[in-house]
This record gives sequence, C-alpha cells and structure tokens, in this order.
Amino acid sequence: MTAAYLRTAALELSWADASRSLQDLIFSVARRALDESGVEFERLDSVVLAAHDMVDGRSLSSMVSAPAAGSYLRDEIRLSDDAAAAVATASMRVRAGLSRECMVCAWARASEGDGERISTALFDPFYARPLGLTELSVSALRASVALREFPAYAGGREAAAERRAGQAAEDPRAPAGHAAPVPAPLPLRAAELPRVCDIVCALIVSAERTDVRIAGHGMSCEPYWPGDRDLLALPALRDATERALRSAARAPAEVSLYELDGLTLFDEALALEAVGGARHGQGMASVAEAMNPCGGYALGYCAPAMGLVRVAEAARRLRERGAGLALASGSSTVAAQTQTALVLECEP
Amino acid sequence: MSGVAITGVGQTTYRRRHAERSSGELMQIAAEAAARDAGLELREIDAFVLGVAPDALCGVNCPEKSSFFLPVGRPVMRVNTGGTTGGAAFHLATTMVAAGEAHHVLAIGLERMGQAVTSQAVFNTIFDPIYEKDIALSTLTMAAMRASMLMQRYGYTAEHWATVAARNFRNARANPYAQVRREITVQEVKDSPLLAWPIHLYEACPMSEGACAVVVYDRPPEGRTAWVRGIGSYTDTYAMGDRTRRREGSLVDLLTLQLAARRAYQEAGLDDPPDRLRVVELHAPFSSAEAMAYPALGLCTAAGGPAFAEGTLDPQARVRVNPSGGPQPANPVSTTALVRIAECANQVRERAGKMQVDDADWAVATCQGGASQFSMAVVLAAARG
Repeated sequence: MTAAYLRTAALELSWADASRSLQDLIFSVARRALDESGVEFERLDSVVLAAHDMVDGRSLSSMVSAPAAGSYLRDEIRLSDDAAAAVATASMRVRAGLSRECMVCAWARASEGDGERISTALFDPFYARPLGLTELSVSALRASVALREFPAYAGGREAAAERRAGQAAEDPRAPAGHAAPVPAPLPLRAAELPRVCDIVCALIVSAERTDVRIAGHGMSCEPYWPGDRDLLALPALRDATERALRSAARAPAEVSLYELDGLTLFDEALALEAVGGARHGQGMASVAEAMNPCGGYALGYCAPAMGLVRVAEAARRLRERGAGLALASGSSTVAAQTQTALVLECEP
Repeated sequence: MSGVAITGVGQTTYRRRHAERSSGELMQIAAEAAARDAGLELREIDAFVLGVAPDALCGVNCPEKSSFFLPVGRPVMRVNTGGTTGGAAFHLATTMVAAGEAHHVLAIGLERMGQAVTSQAVFNTIFDPIYEKDIALSTLTMAAMRASMLMQRYGYTAEHWATVAARNFRNARANPYAQVRREITVQEVKDSPLLAWPIHLYEACPMSEGACAVVVYDRPPEGRTAWVRGIGSYTDTYAMGDRTRRREGSLVDLLTLQLAARRAYQEAGLDDPPDRLRVVELHAPFSSAEAMAYPALGLCTAAGGPAFAEGTLDPQARVRVNPSGGPQPANPVSTTALVRIAECANQVRERAGKMQVDDADWAVATCQGGASQFSMAVVLAAARG
C-alpha cells in the first residue's frame, strides 16, 4: 500500500479582515500551500475540507468556499469534524490509491458567527441547553475536576498561562486581533481561555515521498453526555493515540514532540497526560514547554481548523529538527467527544 | 475501488415527522437493521461515518453525535456535503476499508428536517448572503429555473414532468419505507398547486425524516453481494451563473455528474452502460431534475432526453429508473443519497422485495448536493470484477 507524506503547509490567522472575503482568505492560503510545496495546481486530484456549518455564518459552508480551496471539477469531500480527521482522510485516500496529491484545507471565520450560540446548539435542547452549557463550560467542568484531583495544577496554572501568552506574543503569525473575550466560566481564568480568531490552514498530502511521512493515525469516541465521561483521562484521545502509535508500529517513548489540540490551558495539560507526554497529575507543570510552543490556544483558536494547525506545526517543527517522531491531535465536537491522533515521522 | 462490498442495508420508514422517535432512536433502528442484514452485531462494526446536513434544519448542531448507540472507543467521523452527504459518508466508509483501516464500516445518514419551522428559509442561507439570498433563491426556485431551461433547450414539456412524477409514485407503492405510497395519476400531478413555474406540488419532493445505514466490508460472505465497482465524485463552481454559458457544459448538462459517471464506469470496467445497467436510482428531488441525469449518465444524448424519459414509463424498459420511487415519495435530505445507494445494493443483492428488477447485475446510483454543485456516481455489480 502507498505511503502518505506531508508537503509544506500554509497558515493564516486574522480577525475580521473586511478587505477580504472568506473565499479570498481560503484561496490565498491554499495557493500558498501549493506554491510553497512546489505543486502545480493541475496535479491536485482531490480535496478534503473541514469546516462547520454556522461558524462562518453559512448553513452549508463548503458550497461557497470549496472552489477557493481548489475543488473545481475535482473529487472533494467536506468533514464537519476537526481537521485532523481530514488529514487522516487524505492519508487513507492516498494509501488506498484513490489520490496522489490531496489538498487538505480547513477554515473557521469566527468573526462572522456567534460562537457561544453555535456551541450551545451542540447540546441537548431539553436537558442540557437550559443550563447554558457550552463547550467552554465543559472545559470548566474538566478544570474543576483537575483542580480537585491534582494539587499541582493549582500551583502551576499561572506560570503556564503566562508562558503561553509570551509564546503567542512572540509568534510573528499572531493575528492583529481576536474576538472579544467571554466571561471565564469558573474555575477558568481569562488567560486560560482560547483567543478566538479567523483561521485558514492548508496542507497537501502526497503519495510522493517528502521528508515527513504520516506513519499512522487513530480515531476514537467518547459518550455524548458530559456526565458519562471521564473528564480527566480523555479516554478518546488516549485510545486514538494508542491506535495511531500501533498503526505506526512505534512506542509512546519514541515520540519526540507533541502538538495537541486543547480548547483551554487545562485541556492542553490534560491532553499531554492522556497521550503519555506527562506523568499523571503533572501535565500543568510541563504543558507550556512540552507541547505547542507557538502558544497553542493563546495564539489563536477556532474550530474545526485546529487539528490541521497542530499537524502543520508538528511537520514544521520536525523539519526544523531534521528527524524525529511527532504526535499531533485534533479534538472535535461535542466538547472533545471524538478525537483524532496522527503520528508523523521525519526521515533524515 | 476493488474488494469492497455492501453487505448490509437498514432503513427506517420515512415520514414528514417522526414525532415519537429521537434522532438516536432513528439512527439505532437503521444501524441495527443494517448490521443484522450483514449478519453482524453492532459491536462488530469497526468504524462509523455519520452524515447530517445542514445542521440548521433540526436546530441541533451535530445532532447525530448525541446518539446513544455510538460506540465508545471506536473511530467515528462526520461528513457534511449538503445533499450528497449520505453518498460522501458512503465514499469515506469505502475509503476506510480500501485503505485497510477497517473491515466493517457503517455509513449512516440522519435527517430531522421536520423540526425546522421552514426548511426553505434554512435552504435560502446556503446561498450567497450578498447577491443571492435577497432574491429568494431556494432549492425550489433553483429547480424551477433549470426545468424551464430544459424545456427551452431540449424540448421537454409539462407532460414529461408530470408523467415522470406519476411513474415515481407508482413505483413507490411497492416501497415499504416510502413516505408517499399511494398512486398519484398524471392528471393529479398536473392539477396539484403550482409551486414555482413549471413545477407543481407533486413534481417536487416532500419533507421527510428518517435514517439509512449501509455496512461496507472487505470480506463478504458467500452468496449474492453488491460489489462497489466504481465511485466518481466531482465538485463544480459555487455560482450557478458560472455554469450557464461555459464551454464544458451548461447548468443543466450536469458536468460534474458526467465526470463522476465517467470515472465510476471506468473504474468498474463498464464501457457500455446503457446495455449493461439494469437499475438506475437517481437523486432527483424534482421530476424535472431526472432529465439532467439521463445524458450525464450516458443513457442517452441531451437531445434524446425527452424520448428517453418517455421510455422510462414502460415497466418493461431495459433500464429501470427509480424502482424504489426515488426521492419524490421520500426525501430525507441528509440521507437521500445513501438511500439511492442502499436501494441499488438491495437490487443487486436480490433483496428488493416487490421492487426487485430481474437480472439486476449492474446498478448505478447518483448523489447530488449543494444546488447540484456536488455530484457522485456509484456503480454496484453482482460480480466482483
């Protein structure tokens, strides 16, 4: 079976850029991914998109935007899932021999939608919605349990959040602005919340050998109801990671860098523990150094593009190092109910 | 596509509104039926591909993820490609199997549009908010413009739209899942209220809720199987105006379906489709929309379309169009495309009950979505090839 490789990715973070339509944003990023990868447009034979209805103010998001991502008269599919699943889909297409050059593109334009209302609409209209539940409030529940169970989280959160803010400020790709902050649901604090912005990311998955190979991927699912979940252990992420490593025939200890999707600082820290990057109860102590050194949630956030951003960042960092094994993940609705993990390998 | 087969099909009945069932229950009914048909328990399914689109129709985002049958600890993916969603979910399921990711994958589509206060208002928001929403463009007015274009260019008449609609309703009497299961005569179609000229009420699809599930597998058991022999999937421009006067084919020539069919036939090794195909299940929510598919599938020329349409009225026609009745007697938007594939699979597996067509060794299903921006063709055959 053919192996799947990653070409150079393109990423743009912005906020409410009135000079460009959503199609303009998508086109420019997809174009840059092609140019920087040295791939002629004609060689693209399929497109996998990730976008949620409503986040960009439309009820069938890919209609208006799919052609801008290169799908005109091509095989195209749109996932309404985190974009890490789109990378996995592209990988499967390549490995099955259905495609040789597959554009993966994800976007989210929070400046055109009402994130709070969209998030609320994910929950059961009778039992959960009247409580005002959002994905962020599920993260707050998770943080609450973490603070109760792991004393080290309380002591390390302030320094970790400061470090995250510093990393984000130093990144030249930081957007000019973000969405107005929402009140932090307790026990979360403002500095631990995602800095919501407009994001477009594009990446080509190829059958042609490059220096970064998709060595494996895994996906898994948790129950819908937050009350049925293990909020600390993130079992879907743990299971997806185990599947990804198993399919790559690699051991957890071989992973040398992590790019993990988390909505808040606490989600990031718990994700690091779930994949084996930190000891039980110690995720907060090392989260800012061990994963997402661009600042993670603090640089810019908008579902469902984040999994692709993490994959793109993992590939970029692997290339900088010249070798190694990376683990990237993307968490999807509802409040990280489904997870995708990818193992990337850079071969010198 | 080689070595992938459909081994199980399950559907709920389709109704205007399943008031007594939750989304999870509808999905469970379809999923359990498909698994049972495949000789499996749900726990033996390796991965799940879900499809709902647009979410706004039921007022809950990602409504299928609340379903209680979804397995903890297994891969679950979610597809949204408008009307083609069910077909795209199927395509992804076959890709997972072909890539060696899984042996059994369940593709499932769910529709809850009966929860919408007005579906046409939701469909209006699929169009451009600056240039198109304000002219009240909807799926209905869009179809009406195409129907008039077909009449002007190729000589279709109001009689064609009415007789094709009546044929679909007649066929649906044998379909135990159809929402409309009574004969509606040509005259009744003509006498039904005019929605948007030239489309009458009975030439349009109803609003439907329900779920459909299909199991794909790489090691089918002995016996008659529906092998997935070819899949083509293509995307067009967003703006319909860009498709009206281009060299490659006009709006009503369905260029994307032409390309999809060509690729699917090529993969299947089917070089003479009109002679080999016995069953065609068309994703045509309006009787007039069928006319765009006939030449795109290579069943006739564009100019020969009206005569081909007349030929489909013959119950003994070589190519049987919509033996299930197609989307006119039931159109659960997110899942309609998957229903077309499921009905073709039932025909090829000789499990179509009273709808069964003799010698259904080859079948093709079409999937359309996003104001016909997205097209798929799926070729199934009894022989592995």
